[in-house]
Amino acid sequence: MTHPLCPNCAHSVSFEHVYVEHDGIRILDDICASIPRGECTAIVGPNGAGKTTMVLVLLHEISYRGTVTFHGYAESRPRVGYVPQSLSFDRGMPLTVLEFMAAFHQKKPLCFGVSRAQRERLLPLLEKTACSHLANRPLGALSGGELQRVMLSAALSQEPELLILDEPASGIDFKGGEVCCELLDRFRKEKNFTQLMITHDLSTVAAHASHVICLNRRIVAEGNPHRILTPEVLAATFGPHRGVPAPGAIPGTAQNLPDSCCRKES
Amino acid sequence: MELGFVSFFCELIGKVIPLECMQMRFMQEALLGLILIAPMAAVAGTQVVNFRMAFFSDAIGHSAFAGVAFGLLCSVSPDLTMPLLALLVGLGIMAVKQRSGLSTDTIIGVFFSAVVAAGLAVVSRYPQAARDMQMFLYGDILTISDAEIAALVGLLALFLIFQYFSFNKLICVGLNLQLAKAHRIHVMIHQYLFAALLSLIVIFSVKAVGVLLVTAMLITPAAAARNLASSYGKMLWISVLISLVCAVAGLLLSAQDWMRTAAGATIVLCTCAVFCVSLLFRRRTRS
Repeated sequence: MTHPLCPNCAHSVSFEHVYVEHDGIRILDDICASIPRGECTAIVGPNGAGKTTMVLVLLHEISYRGTVTFHGYAESRPRVGYVPQSLSFDRGMPLTVLEFMAAFHQKKPLCFGVSRAQRERLLPLLEKTACSHLANRPLGALSGGELQRVMLSAALSQEPELLILDEPASGIDFKGGEVCCELLDRFRKEKNFTQLMITHDLSTVAAHASHVICLNRRIVAEGNPHRILTPEVLAATFGPHRGVPAPGAIPGTAQNLPDSCCRKES
Repeated sequence: MELGFVSFFCELIGKVIPLECMQMRFMQEALLGLILIAPMAAVAGTQVVNFRMAFFSDAIGHSAFAGVAFGLLCSVSPDLTMPLLALLVGLGIMAVKQRSGLSTDTIIGVFFSAVVAAGLAVVSRYPQAARDMQMFLYGDILTISDAEIAALVGLLALFLIFQYFSFNKLICVGLNLQLAKAHRIHVMIHQYLFAALLSLIVIFSVKAVGVLLVTAMLITPAAAARNLASSYGKMLWISVLISLVCAVAGLLLSAQDWMRTAAGATIVLCTCAVFCVSLLFRRRTRS
């Protein structure tokens, strides 16, 4: 899928030889990957593989070496919508769903109420995620699935060009996760944004992602999930993880491949 | 030094509240000071409660000890060293939090210990300083000066401007840093400004209710409001109302012949009573 500003770019974002180190420990090692425009890309990998770090690099939240390029956006960076894994709030706080949504957009302090203009803009968004009945309910009273859908509404209210989701199905049951992913598929087709999600759930990847990046501090494999999620790749990605693997310690990893720094689907 | 606008408001208070105790200038000044401090403490307290920063405000309150100590050591008025040290401690905690991998509680704990130890070290070296310390331990709003009231007016103006531009953004920052940054909010600016203003409010509240009760003055009205409010916006206004009513009621009660208690402690007792009542209403709402 191409973009009017950059008709030749099939990719929304590309990582070229990106390294991240913290206290002498290499968290991301020579990352070369790309995120196709207008599609759903999943980053999979075990705990400590650097998935969240990769997202932090995208958000310019962490210092790194290498190049991250955004292709075909009017500004130097796309408008980013972000759905975090969780919110750190006291569940007794009486912040309502509508106040939460308006906090990101309204200039007038919320203690003077949510303006009519914001209500008219935000309620249809809540309607789209089947959350309009929750508008006046406190955030702390929502179930995991409801909170996830509300956070999705808040991210969509940004009219994102790139939507990043950190474990969208974590903490919610299978049905809730499925509903969330189906909503995302529908919105992506409607709004034509690029979606990037971190997930552990391979069934979600198989059902909803058109591109997958297997990460274990290095890129193990990248491409169409139906073609690259082979037993060998999964073993290399999710195998026993004990600190930084020695060069060549993981069979089939990108470093053993002859042509490039990462194995890409042909 | 008497300031014109302070005299005007003091006379107004004397006329509006025709009680005998309120005809004395120091009581009128104390009430004026409380009317300025209470709303700020209530608004800041709402944010402190919702974003679990009670320990932060406690550490700032205890920096009053070190503020007095440094004032004595440098022969400078504690009225100057206390706010300066509170600012230093507040911003210091934020800076160390940003740059170290330590948990916020640990960092605050270290600062807390350091400021208390500094105060105690000076008291042990200069025993005559103990009397000054006692004043800050229990608070003494009745000795508030016109200059302090003028400083409070300035602080209130700054605080209102800051809240107008940052109130919504602080909610976002408190919920999730990455989410706030993704919405292009300058997180660090809001965090540092809030820490600085909170430090100043806390140190002025120390004057009103003392180091021991300063956290209660911030937290109790907000906690009571939380039991009653159905939204964040309403929580703020209820908290301001509780704080103001309790401040006025506490001061008036403390001056009665049958009470004769410390003003700060009486104010905090009033807020605690309101909190207990709010618990009953919360249960009724739930049932």
